[in-house]
Order: sequence, then C-alpha cells, then structure tokens
Amino acid sequence: MLKLKEMAKKQKGNLILLGVYAFFSGASILGQAYLFATIIDGVFLKGVPFSDITTLLAGLLFVLFARTLFNYLIGKTGIKMASRVKRGLRQFLLRTYSNTTLQSSIHGQSGQKVSVLLDAVDKVDSYFSKYIPKIFQATIIPVLIFIVIFFEHVPTGVIILITAPFIPIYMVVIGFKTKDKSEEQLHKMAAFSGKFLDTLQGLTTLKLFGHSQKQKEEIRKSSLEFRDATMDVLKIAFQNSLILEFVSMLSIGLIALEVAIRMIIFQDLSFYTGFLMLILAPEFYNKLKELGSAFHTGKGSIGAANVIEEELENTFAPVTWGEEHLDEKTPPTIVLSKAGFRYGDAGFSLTNINLVIHPYENVAIVGKTGSGKTTLLHVLAGLFPLTAGKILINGNPRDMYKEEEWFGGVSYISQSPYLFSGTIAENIAVGSRHSTTMEEIEHAGEKAGIAEVVRSLADGYDTKIGEVGRGLSGGEKQRIAIARAFLKRPSVILFDEPTTGLDLYTERILQESLDELSRNATVITVAHRLHTIQRADKIMVMEDGKIITAGTHQELLNHALYKRMVSVQQGGA
Amino acid sequence: MRYTKGWFLFSREVLNVKDLGTIVKIMFREKRDIYLSVLCGFIAGITAVGLFASSGYLISKSAFAPPIYTLMILVASVKLLGIISAVSRYGERYFSHRGTFTMLSNLRSSFYEKIEPLVPRVFHQYRSGDLLARIVGDIETLQNFFLLVFYPPIVTALIFVCTIFIAMFFSMEAALIIFIGFILTTIIVPALFLLRQRKFQLKVRNSRSRFSIEITEFLYGYRDLKIYQQVEGKEHQLNLSSDAYLKEQEREEIHHLFGESVNTFLSLSISFIVLGTGAYLVSEGQLDGIFLAMLVMISLTVFENVTTIAALPGHLEDNKQAAARLNKVVSYEEVQESDVGKAKLIIQSAPSLEVENLTFTFPDQSRKALSNISLRLPAGSKTAIVGPSGSGKSTLMQLIMYLYPIADGEIRINDQPYRQLNKESIWKHTNIVLQENHFFFGTIRDNLLLDAKTADDDILQVLEKVKLGHFSLDDSVLEKGENLSGGEKQRLAIARIFLKKAPLWLLDEPTSSLDAITEAEIYQHLFSLAEKDTLVLISHRLQGLEEMDQIVVMDRGRIVEMGNYHELMEMRGYFYGMKQIEKSVFTWGVT
Repeated sequence: MLKLKEMAKKQKGNLILLGVYAFFSGASILGQAYLFATIIDGVFLKGVPFSDITTLLAGLLFVLFARTLFNYLIGKTGIKMASRVKRGLRQFLLRTYSNTTLQSSIHGQSGQKVSVLLDAVDKVDSYFSKYIPKIFQATIIPVLIFIVIFFEHVPTGVIILITAPFIPIYMVVIGFKTKDKSEEQLHKMAAFSGKFLDTLQGLTTLKLFGHSQKQKEEIRKSSLEFRDATMDVLKIAFQNSLILEFVSMLSIGLIALEVAIRMIIFQDLSFYTGFLMLILAPEFYNKLKELGSAFHTGKGSIGAANVIEEELENTFAPVTWGEEHLDEKTPPTIVLSKAGFRYGDAGFSLTNINLVIHPYENVAIVGKTGSGKTTLLHVLAGLFPLTAGKILINGNPRDMYKEEEWFGGVSYISQSPYLFSGTIAENIAVGSRHSTTMEEIEHAGEKAGIAEVVRSLADGYDTKIGEVGRGLSGGEKQRIAIARAFLKRPSVILFDEPTTGLDLYTERILQESLDELSRNATVITVAHRLHTIQRADKIMVMEDGKIITAGTHQELLNHALYKRMVSVQQGGA
Repeated sequence: MRYTKGWFLFSREVLNVKDLGTIVKIMFREKRDIYLSVLCGFIAGITAVGLFASSGYLISKSAFAPPIYTLMILVASVKLLGIISAVSRYGERYFSHRGTFTMLSNLRSSFYEKIEPLVPRVFHQYRSGDLLARIVGDIETLQNFFLLVFYPPIVTALIFVCTIFIAMFFSMEAALIIFIGFILTTIIVPALFLLRQRKFQLKVRNSRSRFSIEITEFLYGYRDLKIYQQVEGKEHQLNLSSDAYLKEQEREEIHHLFGESVNTFLSLSISFIVLGTGAYLVSEGQLDGIFLAMLVMISLTVFENVTTIAALPGHLEDNKQAAARLNKVVSYEEVQESDVGKAKLIIQSAPSLEVENLTFTFPDQSRKALSNISLRLPAGSKTAIVGPSGSGKSTLMQLIMYLYPIADGEIRINDQPYRQLNKESIWKHTNIVLQENHFFFGTIRDNLLLDAKTADDDILQVLEKVKLGHFSLDDSVLEKGENLSGGEKQRLAIARIFLKKAPLWLLDEPTSSLDAITEAEIYQHLFSLAEKDTLVLISHRLQGLEEMDQIVVMDRGRIVEMGNYHELMEMRGYFYGMKQIEKSVFTWGVT
C-alpha cells in the first residue's frame, strides 16, 4: 500500500503548523467558554453594570475571530499539504510512465492511465485536506478541554474519564464490523451504476432484439433491490451513530446532573464553574465523535492510493543508453543475438531472436496477428529493452550509444500515427530536432503528398489539427507522419503495416512516397502486401514470438507454411 | 450598487430552475418519505435547540437553589428532549436516504423511458462512451437533489421560524437579531460567495481539461514523441499544466474555505450580539437575567444548522447542470419523432426491399454520406455491398436497418414505405449483425437475448455451428464482452441471429475478425439457414462473392457498379481493380 501516512510525515513543517493551529483553535474554544461564562455570571448574578463588561465583550469578539481564523488556517494548511502531495505523485507517475508507457500500452491501458493521473490523484486529496487536519483537531482539542475541565471541576473530569473511552471503544468494536459490510456495499454500488451504463450502451442491440421494454422493468426492480440492500447497511450505520449520540448525551446529562446537585444541594459549586462545564462538555464530546467520522473521510483516498501504488508497481526496466557517438545519417549494421523480450511476468514474449540486418537492406517481417511482429519492431527501434541476449549496432552493444543520436536516425511509421494538437506545420516540424524553416516543412509536405490537401484548407499549414482541431482522414494522418519522416531523412525506417485500412487510391499515393523515403535507408517492414514482400532482400516469418524461418521469397517458397500462405493470397480458396 | 447587480444576477441564476422541473416531479412521487424526513429533521433540530435552551435555563435556575422537584422536572425534560432529538435524527437519516434511493430508481426508469425511443439516433450525436458515463454520473448527482438541495433549506427555515417564535416570548430583541442573522447567513453571504465561486470553478474546469488533453497526447502519442525526441519537453510541459491545474484547484478550495469561515464567524457573531444585547438589557433591567444563558445557548445551537446551508448553492449548481445536460440529451430531435409511422409490418416470408433516390447527410456534417442511391432487392435475393472504407456502405446498411430516419428518398419493404411503419415491427422480422455488437454483463445465455423458451440443446447446437462449442451457456460475459476476443464476439452475434430466425438478414461485416476457414464454414451455415430469405451483406473481403445474386460496389457515397460477380469481373471496372489489389495483399488468417 502506498503509505499516505509516510507521505504526510514528510511534510513536517505543515504538520507542526497543524498542531499549533489546532492548539490555538482549542484555546479559543476555551477562551470563548470562559468569556461567555464570565459575562453571563457577571450580568446575571453579580449585577455588574454593562459598561464594565464591554472589555470582556471585546475580548469575546476577538476570541470568536481567533477561533474562526485558526479553523481557516487549519483548512488552508490541509489544502496546501494535499497540493504538494498531488504534485509529487503526478511527477512520480509521469516519470514512471515515461519509462514504461509503450510496454504497458500493449495491454491497452492508456485510458486507465489518464484516469489514474487525473482522478486517482485528485481522490488522494481528501486524506490530506480533510482527514489529517480533522485528526489533529479531534485529538488536540478534546485533550485541551479535558485538562481545563479537570482543573476547574474534578468530578466532571472524572465523569468524562469514565464515559469518554466508551466512544472510541464502541467505534472500534462495532465500527469495524459494519465497515466491512459498508465497503462491500460501496463496491456493489459501483458495480450497479456500471450495470446501468452497460444497459444504456447496449440499448441499440436491446431494441433490435425487442428487449428494451423488458429491460426497463429490470432497471426498476434491480434499483429497488439495491435500495433495500443498501438501507440494511445504512440502518446499522445510523443505529451506531444513534447509540454514540446516546452515550455522549448520557455523559453530558450526568455532568449536568452532578453540576446541578452540587449547586443546589451541596451548594459548593459556583454558577460560573457550572455554566463553564455545561458549555465545555458538549464541545468535548462533539470533537470526540468527529474523530470517528474522520475515518470515513480518508477511506476514498486510501482506495485511490492503492490504485496509484499498483500503477507504480508495474514498472518495467527502461531502455538504457550511453555516451558514444553514432553517425545518424549512415545506416548501421544491426545484429540481434539470442535476443528476448518479455512483458511482465506471464505476458507475451519474444524468444531467441537471431538476425543480421545490413545497411540499406530491405527486410520484411510476416506472421499472424499476435505473433510478435510489432514487438520485434519496437525492440529494433530502441523503444523496448531486451530482457535476454544482445543487440549490436555496428558491432557494439546499442546501450553504448547516445540516445538522441540513435533516435536521430530512426523513423517509425505505424498504422495510427498520433497527431498532436497544434497546426499542421507544427505537427510536421516534430520530425526535426532542430528548428525548421517553413520552406523545409512545405518541401516535406510536397514529398509526402499532403501539399494538395493543405492547399485546399483556408489556413494552409496553419490549420489546427489534433484533439481540439479539425479531424483528418486516416490517409491524411499517414501523410503527415510521412512528412515528418521526410524532414528527418532517417537512415533506418520501420514500417508497421502503414497502409492497412486505407482505400485503394490513397494507398497507391502513399506507397510512392514510402518508396522514395526508403531509397537511402535500411527499411524494416511489417508487411502485408505481396509485392512488398517479393521485393524484400530478406523475409522473416514469425510465429509465437519466434522467427521460424527466414530467407528470400524464392527460398521461402519451399517452406510449407509460407507457401500455403502465399497461395491463399493468390486467389485460392 | 455592485451588490444590487450581483444580487440580481444571483436571483436570476438561482431561480431559473426550469431544468429541475422533471426531477422535482419525480421526487414528489415519494411524498411519504419527503414528509417524514422533513418532519423528523425539524423535530431533531428544534428539540436540540430546546435541549440546550433548557439546560441553560436549568443552570441559571440552579444558581437560586430552587426546590429539588423543579430541578428534577428540568433534568427530566432535558433528558427527554435529548432522546427525542437523537431518535428523530435517526428517523431523518433513515427516511431521507430511503427516499433518495427510491428516487434514484425512479430517475433511472424515467430517463430510460425517455431515451429509449430516441435510440439509436441519439447515439450518433453523442457517440462517445464518455457521454453515456456522464449521463450515469449526472443521474447520480440528481439522486442527491432531495438530500442535499431540496430539504435542508426547508428544515432549516422551519427550525429558525420556530426558534425565533419561541425567542419572542423571552426577548423581542434577541428574536430580531436571530432573524437578521438567519437572513444573512443562509441567503446573502452564501449568494455573494457563490457568484465568485463559479468563476473559480470555471477556471478549475478549464485547467483540468487542458491537463487532460495533454496527458492523453502524452500517453497515446508517446511512441512518436520518443522517436522524435520530444519526450522530455512534453514531460516538462505536462508538469507545468499539472501545476496550473493544482493552483486553480487550490484557489477554488481556499476560496470555498474562506466563504465557510466568513459564514461561521458571522454565525458566532450573531450569538455574540445576542449576548451583548441581552447583557445590556439585563443590566438595564429590561430582561430577566435567568433567560440570558438560555438565549445565548439557543442562538449558538440554532446557527449550527447554517453549515448545511453553506454548501447548498454548490450542490444546487451541480444539480442544475446535471439536469440541463440530461434534458438536452432527451429533448434531442423531439420534433422529428412526430413523423414516425404507426403501421405494423406484418410479413410471413422473405420480403422484398426497394431503395429509391436515397440521399443522406449526418446531422452534424455538411458532406453527403449517401447521394441518390437506388437499388432493388427482390424477395429471397442475396446481395453483397462492397467498397473502400468511408464509401458509405455502412451508412446505407444502417438506413436499410432503419437506425436513422429517412429524410430524402424512400425505402420500401414489400411496397410499404418505411416512413409509415413502426420501427420495432421491422426489427422484429430482421436478423441484424452490426459492425460493433454490444454484449452485456451476464452469461452467454443472457447475451443471446432469447425471446421465447428455447431448449438448451438447440442453443448449444447453434453455438457449435458458430464454433463457440467451448462455451457453456452459463459462462460469464464481462461488461462489453471484455473477456471475449473480437472473433468470439462476432460469432456470438451470429449465434444470436441464428436463434432469432427472421426472414430478413442485414449483416454489416459480420466476420471481419474471423480467419478465412472459420468464416467459410460459418457462411455455409448462414446461407443454408437463409436459403429462402432476403439477405444483404457488407463484405470486407471480395472472396466468396461468386454466389451472390447481386454485388453493389460503392465509392464516396455513390453506387459505382452493380451486377453479379462475373458481370463485374468482365466489366474490368472498379470491382475488378479492387480484386487485383486484394490479390496482392498478404494477410494471414486472423484469429
């Protein structure tokens, strides 16, 4: 579990402030009680003229102000603490994601990550902004009140000493039992609203199959069942607070009775002290009850902290780099020797990959969906680390070279390139590490075949695209990605089925650009077009994370699996 | 002057609650729980005031050493008030929560009832899953309308009115001060803070959405960022917008806290003024000193109720926004709904279909998705629609499925125009497989959406036919079929229609995730089941179309070619070109 408590302890300064503020807040509560008692005693019994109590009244106003002020400061400190923790958590998560995003995105968790960074971190807030300040108030203030009561009137102190422990004991004994039950119910609640959402999302299907009316009755029925189950749990919770209420009331009643008997029968207690006890006792028990309810405030945060913790546990080793220089403009020789890669513990893996790619070679990777083609491409690109074996660049381990110089020579063009929110020009300029001129961008656009589309737009290269701007078709997105590559002029190009899902004409145009881009580079393609494969200098056939065979098209035609695959494509069955 | 303007804005904003009309109506179906919780809340509050008042009086009285029985009566009444207060508090909580959960049930049913007729058109407008999730969230917000918005002010007002009335018997001045304090702390101060609060909230929302967009870009665009060496810069930028978001959040929270503190101080000051005025009156001999402690206790206790009111404007705002969003969703296209036909489609055997001059534009787009489509599907015919992605084939299919209203042109089934027909009656006779089929949380059996009782053996046989023999009927299916592969989902969707046995088949790429061999086997079963029926199929592959009576080739929203396989191949046109490219595609069977 992510230790929220540990995180709080790190903020010593704020904790001390909280303690100090809580002390002063308690002191003002005491001051308020003293002044109330003194003033009423003075006016009511001692017959002091009004002019004599004006100073006291001014003091009272000051104390009331102080009480509010310190409460405000406690709240503010809590908010500041929460902000600091949230900032730290986000930075930490971002750093972790920076290292592991690609590897875990295999599991399709990007959506979940967004919600962890936003919502889960926000939920941690209440632990620091509400729970901790409350704990400080609910422990320091009752202790202060108790000490004062003990000094002023011992019997009241004794009554408190006997009755007060019942409240925490009761909370511990009964509270824990219902806690589990109510947590279970909270869980059900989430599942329940999930089911309603599920029904809404499937409404089209339900209608097409004539089931939508039936579902309405179902929603009503299950909602009511849910209500009854929840009420059973809530009833217990309400009963508990009722009993707590009785305990504290009984205790206050005892105090009142004792005070009254002393005043009337023994007549050894002044009105002043009696009244003071009567003001302070409820304050004491209220704060004590708040301690119990405070535990609920922190609960949501603990759940969220667990989610974050899980996320941080999912760490994968990052790819490591060195300090040696690499000429990014010349294609290198790439060698994989007994290379392996594995996601997590039981996940998918690449095993025993051996291959040599010479400069300017054209390599095709083929295989079924899920056979590890994209993973191999990621390993070659330097996006995934090896978990076994070696990768050699020009005969040296790749981790000797500088990261920016390796990536300076690599382009990766996938089925779904990502466009950032910004203008088309900005999106193309991403391709270069250096500042680019408009001419260079336009030139790259021309080469990638996007220029015509851009010209048809009112704002040209300044048209906003991405999340917030105009949407582009799949083919147009691809062309922007290719324009990035033209700007970069890479020496190693990795293609991950870049033309899948595009229509005939778009594909034909794209292919021309891709061919030109490939002329001065090593090209490694996850391929699905027969002509791409036929042209390849080397074809690697993958299955279950292994390269089962490799060779040229002609050589591979003797391989049974390859042959069957090719014949299926050429119009058979 | 500034305050007058603020006050005006506030009342216009707050009193403009027409969006909440529906929720109020739904809420009042639970009259009994409403009355009981208001009653219990009032009793709990007023007895608490009584409790502290009488203990204040008790202590003052004790100072004069009264006869013991007076004391006993007082002590007993203090006890009694305490017990009543605690028990009523319990009742208040119980009834208000029960009412709230019943309201949730009513709200869901009522919203479902409203949105049901608008499906699936409304989903085109609000396609994203996020929106539906927000609808569910909005309904949950509204569930608390009663608990957080409606009844606290009623109870508080009742308690105050009653307290002020009682206080009048002892001191008109104290009653007046409490009244002024009531107006100040429950209406004026919260209103002033609400106006500023909104500005802060807006800033929080904006910075949050900026941050959210940047996170999304970072995570989804990570590979491109990494290759192009932009990760560090982006990470830095993300940290900056995280800080900006935090700062706005912090400001909003502190402002909220400040508002609360001001109100608390104000409440305390009211009790202070009660004390000061009371003390003056006592020293002037205009008030019996024995009531002074009591009045102060009354004032302190009654203003404790104000804290629930302070949070109210925020909740009201949330509820209003939730209600407005929901209203917007369900009021969508109410006008067009009126021209929907009432006639019921009655057919016994395979129907014929006719599409005439059909043109279609999606509501939020200017480009035509379909233009001038005309096509005849004789009874019992088998038709395939092919074309590149974005050519309009799915749109045409969805119109034949009558998922969207037909605005321009005509579709007829057995010579009856769709427009005159009740949609449900068309769907009743149709076997539909969509590109994306929804699966629900439940079992395989639940997800087959069986109408009549079907013997388990028959169902299992169908599952066997679609190569899902490895499932048992009680195997669980997770939300959206998350535990099924793409191929399994498609086969389950096909099993659904195999069990439905309707004479019209409309299939939109039903086997795109299946490997060629499984696909061929399933098609064989499908075509033998549909032998006498009318069938339209959108096919992602061009293989196996030789047997179709008719192939419709589409591109950019138009039909470019039509005919059977051999006719089209001989034409050497668009279809022929597609066929050539397909031959060059090197795909392994997808599993």
